[in-house]
Amino acid sequence: MSASDLITRWRYRLIPDHLVGEILTKRWMDNAIPLAIMAVVACVFASLIPDFFGAATISNLMRQWGEFGLVVVALTIVMVAGGIDLSVGSVFALGNIVALGLLTVAGWPVPAVVAATLGCGAAVGLVNGLLVGYLRLRAFLTTLVTLIIVRAIVDMLLLNYSVAIAATLPDSDIWYFFGEGNVLTFPFSLVVTVTIALALHLFLSRSRVGWHVLAVGGSRRSAHNVGIAVPRVICATYIISGTLSALAGLLFASRLGGGGADTGVGLEVAALTAAVLGGNSLGGGRGSAAKAIIGSITVIILINSLVRIGVSSGANSLLLGSVLLAAVAIDVRWLKNRHKITSKVYVSPTYAALPTAPSTDGDSPYALNDRLRDVGVIGLGSIDGPEDVILDSEDNLYVGNRTGDIIRFLAPDYSQQEVFAHTGGRPLGMAFARDGSLVVCIGGMGLYQVRPDRIVEKLTDETNRSWFSVVDDSRLRLADDLDIAADGRVFFSEATVRYETHEWAVDCLESRGNGRIVCYDPNTGLTRTVLKNLVFPNGICMTHDGESFLFAETWACRVSRFWFDGPKKGRVEPVIPDLPGYPDNINRASDGTYWMALVGIRTPSLDLALKMPGFRRRMARRIAPDEWMYPNINTGCIVRFDESGRILETLWDAGGDNHPMITSMREHKGALFIGGIFNNRVGRLKLEGRDVSWTGPSSYWAKS
Amino acid sequence: MIASISRAIDRILGRGEAAVTLPALDGALRPNRALDEADWRRPLPGVDCIAVHKGSLVVSAGQTVYRLAAGGAWESIGSYEASVSCIAPVDADSLAVALHEGAILIQGGRFDGRRYKIGSAKCITAMAASGEELYVANGSASNGPDEWQTDLMQCNASGSIWRLNLETGVETRLADGLAWPAGIAIAGSDVVFSESWRHRIVRVVSGGPRETEVLYADLPGYPGRLSSFGDGWWLAVFAPRSQLVEFILREPAYRERMMAEVPQPFWVAPKLRSGRSYYEPLQGGAVKHLGLLKPWAPAMSRGMCVWLDASFQPRSSLQSRADGNTHGITSIIDHAGETIAVSRGDNVVVGLRSPALGLGSSA
Repeated sequence: MSASDLITRWRYRLIPDHLVGEILTKRWMDNAIPLAIMAVVACVFASLIPDFFGAATISNLMRQWGEFGLVVVALTIVMVAGGIDLSVGSVFALGNIVALGLLTVAGWPVPAVVAATLGCGAAVGLVNGLLVGYLRLRAFLTTLVTLIIVRAIVDMLLLNYSVAIAATLPDSDIWYFFGEGNVLTFPFSLVVTVTIALALHLFLSRSRVGWHVLAVGGSRRSAHNVGIAVPRVICATYIISGTLSALAGLLFASRLGGGGADTGVGLEVAALTAAVLGGNSLGGGRGSAAKAIIGSITVIILINSLVRIGVSSGANSLLLGSVLLAAVAIDVRWLKNRHKITSKVYVSPTYAALPTAPSTDGDSPYALNDRLRDVGVIGLGSIDGPEDVILDSEDNLYVGNRTGDIIRFLAPDYSQQEVFAHTGGRPLGMAFARDGSLVVCIGGMGLYQVRPDRIVEKLTDETNRSWFSVVDDSRLRLADDLDIAADGRVFFSEATVRYETHEWAVDCLESRGNGRIVCYDPNTGLTRTVLKNLVFPNGICMTHDGESFLFAETWACRVSRFWFDGPKKGRVEPVIPDLPGYPDNINRASDGTYWMALVGIRTPSLDLALKMPGFRRRMARRIAPDEWMYPNINTGCIVRFDESGRILETLWDAGGDNHPMITSMREHKGALFIGGIFNNRVGRLKLEGRDVSWTGPSSYWAKS
Repeated sequence: MIASISRAIDRILGRGEAAVTLPALDGALRPNRALDEADWRRPLPGVDCIAVHKGSLVVSAGQTVYRLAAGGAWESIGSYEASVSCIAPVDADSLAVALHEGAILIQGGRFDGRRYKIGSAKCITAMAASGEELYVANGSASNGPDEWQTDLMQCNASGSIWRLNLETGVETRLADGLAWPAGIAIAGSDVVFSESWRHRIVRVVSGGPRETEVLYADLPGYPGRLSSFGDGWWLAVFAPRSQLVEFILREPAYRERMMAEVPQPFWVAPKLRSGRSYYEPLQGGAVKHLGLLKPWAPAMSRGMCVWLDASFQPRSSLQSRADGNTHGITSIIDHAGETIAVSRGDNVVVGLRSPALGLGSSA
């Protein structure tokens, strides 16, 4: 291995490129940029302002944030449902004046004051909701009007009662606790806001109504079409928004105890800035409580710090406006380009040097011959893609096809076919269980079984989630081939966890260990991953010792043996480390050896590309998939080998005319049945000198 | 400065010059199977270049020049000490034969038996005579005629165009620094040649200062030999361009390792005939489905001849698609009302009666 190869190998072993794409696919990535902005803002002002993190500053900041955060949360709820509420600032001021007036002038008890204030806010919200939700007025204009009207009401109330309010000092500990009290050293307003944000998070992410809100925001028409009461949902969001704004006003009243004409003026702009800065989409459908909190913290730091630095109030507003503009721009661009970035970085090939390929001519055990030339064909042109073939004890032939059926060809001449069962998905590997059920790996669905009475049952479609994987890998994406141990445990391969069935070629381009072998235990009903990081594990076949199986890794061109029981339990040993082609299914032969299909032959040009991950990555990005370098799967062959890895014979179709593309084969009563995933036929080859009574099911389930 | 920075950015992002784009096969180049459906086919191993000599068809194959006898059999009319790289008629009964080491021999006519050698030229890809002047295309200064894949993969541009006076033996270089000139024709007073690796047809103003003019650019294949046809021209396009090859031409590291480590028949490079070995690279669209190779499959070889009008613009084409059996057309001429194309990739000479041209032309 050359020095540059060594460097490349370690570079790709140490830096997990594929995680970038996986992280980008996570929903919480939406929060990454706002979080970074928040961190930058905090760092910048911490360095500019002495004693920024002092106890007094922080406590003061937290108390203010409690009120402001509540308003932002209120606005977020409306925005998530696709609307906007500009009246939050006015309602905040209304809450403030109503609470103070009722407490001091009217002399109501505190609980009644709280209820009435919240009711006041809810009433304004209801007006907004009725107008926007039911009458379908434009949210922007409607709430702008409410802003003005409510502001006018506040001004009238101030005119009449401000003197009286200022003259009376409320005599209530609870009242002062709202504004000045602490819960476990945290300001009361902070605790209230965090509690409400938490509730909102659970509401949006876990509750049916919350999902309705997101659905309405995402697409009003679709939400209506699936039966969601859109006007009611929208109306409700405005009511919640009004209530929370009034609550914020109440907390503010308790803290400062006075009503000024400028209370809550411009608050809607600050709240809007915070909501958008946090990553809540202006278009609706995308937003969360976490985003509201991140955005509001950033804005509160910004506003307070600017005041403390001594920036004049005009410049302060100017800056806030600029931040809003930038946040909106980022919001739009990010939404538009995120999937482009993801699709560009998701494919991440790795260094994958293969051992030198054995030759296929001369004295090589793989030497080219024409033994498959005389193969007879079954169902030519009437079967689409039989990946695996299997025969039952009555000699009937079962194959899966591309449209999700399991087709049965009837013995003895196989000229008649019928749909044995429709499973959907892409039926791949098959095996008969002890009770005669046909257990099938179905790409895109999982592990299923078809009982002899043709009833299709799901066995499993998920396994345990890996602890340290970024994406949730519990769901089975591409169950490929299986075999069944004597105690009924089903071991099956999942070729890749990063791609879907039809994207198998991209996995070859990556050639990373994306696959795994999973065990389903029918006795306990549990599914567990037993082997991970395999390079496209494909064929699986039980050995005769009852405690191990052979498995093929297609892109790694090797066959290994895994012990699931006995003294060597848990060990993996290589059987054939260097195949000249890409192995697919493995099945038992009548004499205790094994048949294996090589779906394609390694090409020197692709072998070289496997050592140059950067080259493959650029290829994936720059040219169309139809033009990519693929493994050469137009010519394949069948080999027979024993447990020591010795190749005993090789069967080729040199011309590739009679049976192009081989992915599987089964020996049955002295004949070999051959399947191919992109083929339109099943091949049948008479074998010389084999046991003509031997069948697969008898080898597994007879006697014992 | 700014240009070089923007080129560097283009290379990283795959834009501009680094973008892998190919012209679509459309209009006059719309795919057809005319070459596969030819009226007659005469196999001959190694057949390469075709010409008319003394009223009958002659072809070069290996070290021999054959004549197509009346019964349709190939009849040797001369063998040489090295492989013949191209042939061209000088006049009605005189034939110029270029050999692999660069010698040019004249057979028959006024200059019978003369032997010329132009400078260090040893990759003569095409010739055309006008009076006693012979115009010669030298594909590359460093690679021989059979090493054209190497020349392409090295991104070479060392070919040249020469004028040789058969009477005096005086040689004149008309153009150089060319990327594998592979076809040459005399159009009036101008010399026109095809420049393969730059996918274009270029005119040299003969006699004048060394000026060239591009007549037809961005062909979807690698253009080869030219011959006159009515008031227009036949152009043999010996191999197709493909996105994968264009991409590899922009990947020097892979290209160098491929040339060093991979046997040449299995390179990712255009070929005269591809898909014959399972060691050759396979592209996604060429995976056989239901036992069939799709005609539109991307392939490293293809059959294509383009009929150009008098101003060297395409009018129609004869093709053999990915699943066809007439790939790697190295030479095509018009003779006695028939169009005869040489498929070196499939070792066969095919003949079409001219009406077959209706195919693929814009109706």
